[in-house]
Amino acid sequence: MRRKIALLLCLVMLTGLFAGCTGTDTKTQGSSDDITIKFLHKWPNQKDNDYFVSAIAKFEEANPGVKVSMDSAGDEAMKDKIRVVMGTTEQPDVFFSWSGEFAKNFIREGNVLDLTPYLEADPEWRDSIMMAGLEPFMEDGKYYGIPYRINGKFFVYNKKIFEENNLSEPKTWSEFLSVLETIKGTGVAPIGLGNIYPWAACHYITGLNQKCVPEDVRHDDYIRETGEYTDPGYIKALEHFKELNDKGYFQEGVNSTEHNMALEMFYGEKVAMVYVELEEFGDFDEKFEGEWGFFPMPAIEDGAGNQNFLTGAPDGFMVSSRSANPDEAVAFLKFLTTLENSSEMVQTLGWPSPVEGAVNSENSPASLVAGLEAVSKAEGMALWLDTDIDIRISDVYLPALQELLNNDKTPEQIMKEVQEISERIKAE
Amino acid sequence: MKLYGNKKTALLFIAPALLFVLLFIYYPIVQNFFMSLYRWKAFGEDRIWVGLQYYRRIAQDPVFYTALTNNFLYALISIVFQVGFGLVIAAILEETFFRRFQGFFRTVFFMPSVISITVVGLLFQLIYHPSIGLLNNFLKAIGLENLTRAWLGESGSAMYAIIASSQWQYIGYIMLLFLVAIQKIPKELYESAEMDGAGAFQRFIHITVPQVKETIIMNSIITVIGGFKVFDEVYVMTAGGPGRSTEVLATFLYRSGFRNDEMGMASAIASIIFVITFVLTLVQLYINRKIAEE
Repeated sequence: MRRKIALLLCLVMLTGLFAGCTGTDTKTQGSSDDITIKFLHKWPNQKDNDYFVSAIAKFEEANPGVKVSMDSAGDEAMKDKIRVVMGTTEQPDVFFSWSGEFAKNFIREGNVLDLTPYLEADPEWRDSIMMAGLEPFMEDGKYYGIPYRINGKFFVYNKKIFEENNLSEPKTWSEFLSVLETIKGTGVAPIGLGNIYPWAACHYITGLNQKCVPEDVRHDDYIRETGEYTDPGYIKALEHFKELNDKGYFQEGVNSTEHNMALEMFYGEKVAMVYVELEEFGDFDEKFEGEWGFFPMPAIEDGAGNQNFLTGAPDGFMVSSRSANPDEAVAFLKFLTTLENSSEMVQTLGWPSPVEGAVNSENSPASLVAGLEAVSKAEGMALWLDTDIDIRISDVYLPALQELLNNDKTPEQIMKEVQEISERIKAE
Repeated sequence: MKLYGNKKTALLFIAPALLFVLLFIYYPIVQNFFMSLYRWKAFGEDRIWVGLQYYRRIAQDPVFYTALTNNFLYALISIVFQVGFGLVIAAILEETFFRRFQGFFRTVFFMPSVISITVVGLLFQLIYHPSIGLLNNFLKAIGLENLTRAWLGESGSAMYAIIASSQWQYIGYIMLLFLVAIQKIPKELYESAEMDGAGAFQRFIHITVPQVKETIIMNSIITVIGGFKVFDEVYVMTAGGPGRSTEVLATFLYRSGFRNDEMGMASAIASIIFVITFVLTLVQLYINRKIAEE
C-alpha cells in the first residue's frame, strides 16, 4: 500500500514538473479561424508602442479574421533578439531590420521573403517609397524589405555660439577645423561625443570612410567575400577623426560619456555641437527651440569618395520566408506604409518617413522637413558602418575606435587588425 | 514500515529531481561541448565540422586572457572587500556601543544590494564621469587633482572602477549574512573572554572568526562564483570597452554568440567557463572538507 502511495506521489510530482512545459501555445488567439500575424518592432517605449497598438487596431478592424500579435525589443536588445528568434519556430512574420549587411545576413540564409512580386503587382505602392530607402534592402536586384524610417546624420550646432563668433556652417573639412579652433578658443568644448558604447565614433567613421575611399573600392571591401581594406583612404579617415581628438575638439572623457550625456551637455551649452540623427531632431525642437541649426559632415577636399553622400540609412521591416500567411503579412506591411498612415506616423512620432509626401510642412516641424530634403538631395547614403559590414569585422573595428581616442592604438594598427579579421572570415 | 530503508522507494522519490537535473543540466553540458566542434549560426540550418579550431583560436586570442584576468581580479578583490571587510563591519555593528544604531547601519549598508544593477550601472557612469562626475570633483575639491582621470574611459582604470562599484553594492549583503552568524554565537563565550581580560580585537580573532568559519567559507564560495559569473555590471557600464579592456568571460561569450553569431565559438567559451568553475568548486569542496575534519 505504502509503495503504491509512493508511486502515486512520484507520478504526481513528475506530471507537476512537466505541466509547466506545455500549454504555452494555448494562449487565447481569438476564434480558431483567425489568422495571427506575429509582428516584432524596435520601439518598446510607451509613446511609440502606443502608436503601433492603435495602428494594429485599425488594421484588424479593416481586415476581419486577421489578428496581429505584437512584440518589441529595444535598440541594443533587438540585435540579439532577432538573431535568436529567427532560429526558432517562434519567429515573427513581420520583423524590424536595419538595412545593409544586417538585413543581408538574413537574406543570404534564406530567412526573408522576396517582396518583388508584391511590389510589382502594386507599382503604385513601390513608387510611393523613396528609392534611397528601398535600395539598401535589395540583394541581387530583388526587394527584401520595406523601409519605415529614413535616417540621416547631421552636426547640430548652437546658433548663439556661432553668431557670437561670426561663424557660418562649414562646407569643407578645413573650414570645419577652423570653426572648431575658434570655438575652442572661447573655452567651450566644440563637439560633444559620447563614445562609451563605440557606435558613436563608428558613425563618424561611416562618413569619413565613405568620403576618403573610392566608392567602388569601399563597396567591394564591405562585402564579406571581397573585403580587403587595403586602401590608404581608411587610414586617412581614422587620421581625420583622430585629429579632432588630438586637437582637443571633443569634450573631456569621450570614452566614458554616454550619448545622452553628450546631448545634455549640448542643452546645457557646455559643448557647441553634437553629431546626431534626423530622428533626434524632435528632441532639439522640444528642448532647444529655434536656437539650433544643422549641417551634414563637411566635404573632404582631397577625399577619393563622393563628397555628396550623406551618412545615414533607412530601417524598416522584412517578412519571414517561413511565414504561414505571407499575403496577410505583406498586407499588414502595406497598411503601415500607406501615405495616410505614414503621415499619421510622422505627426505622432516625428520620424522621417521614406514615403513620398508623408513628411510635409503641415505635419512636421521645419527642421525635419529640411533634414529630409537634405536626405533626398544626397547622391547616396553611407550606411552605418556597424550594420553595413560583417558583424565580426565591426566587432574588431568598433572597440578599436575607443583605443584610437585613448591613443592606445594607431590608425595603421587598427587597419591591420581589420585586414586580418577580414582575411579570416573570407577563409571560412 | 521499512519505508526509510527501502532503496527502491528512495530512488523512486529522487527520480523526478534526478531526471530533471540530467535533462536540464548534464545533458546540455555534454551537448554544448559537441556544439563547440561545429561552425553554426543561431538561425542557419547548416553545421560545418571544425573540430577543435575554436579552442585553438581562443587560446591565441588575447581577449580571452584579458577576460580571464578580469574575472580573477573580480573574484580576488571581492573576497578581500566583501568577505573580509564585510565580516569586520558585521563584528563592529555587533559591539555593545554600536548595537543601538545597528538597525540604521544595517539598512544603509544593505540597501545598495536591492537596487537593480542597471540603475547602479547608470549611477556609477555618472559618478565616474570625468567632468561632471562626483568622484573627480571630490578629488579636485580636496586638492588631489593629479588623481583625477576618466575612470571608465581608460583601459587602466575601467575594470577597477567596475569592480569598485560592485563592492559598494554587495558588501552589505555579505555583511548581513555575517551578522546573522555572529548573533548565533553564544554570549557566554564573549562574557568569559571578557572576564579573562580579552580586548575587542582578541575577541574578534579568537571567538568571532572561528565561530563563523562556515559562513566565511560559504560567503567565499558565493563571491568567487559571483566573480566568474559577472556579466551585467560590465555590460551596463562599459559593454567591454574601452577597446576590450573590461571584457569578462561572460561578455566574451555573449559577444561571440549573440553579437557575432558564432555559436560554435560561444559554445567553446562556455565549455571553458564550465571547466574553470568546476575546478574551482572542487578546490573549495576540498578545503571545506579539510576544515570540517579538523
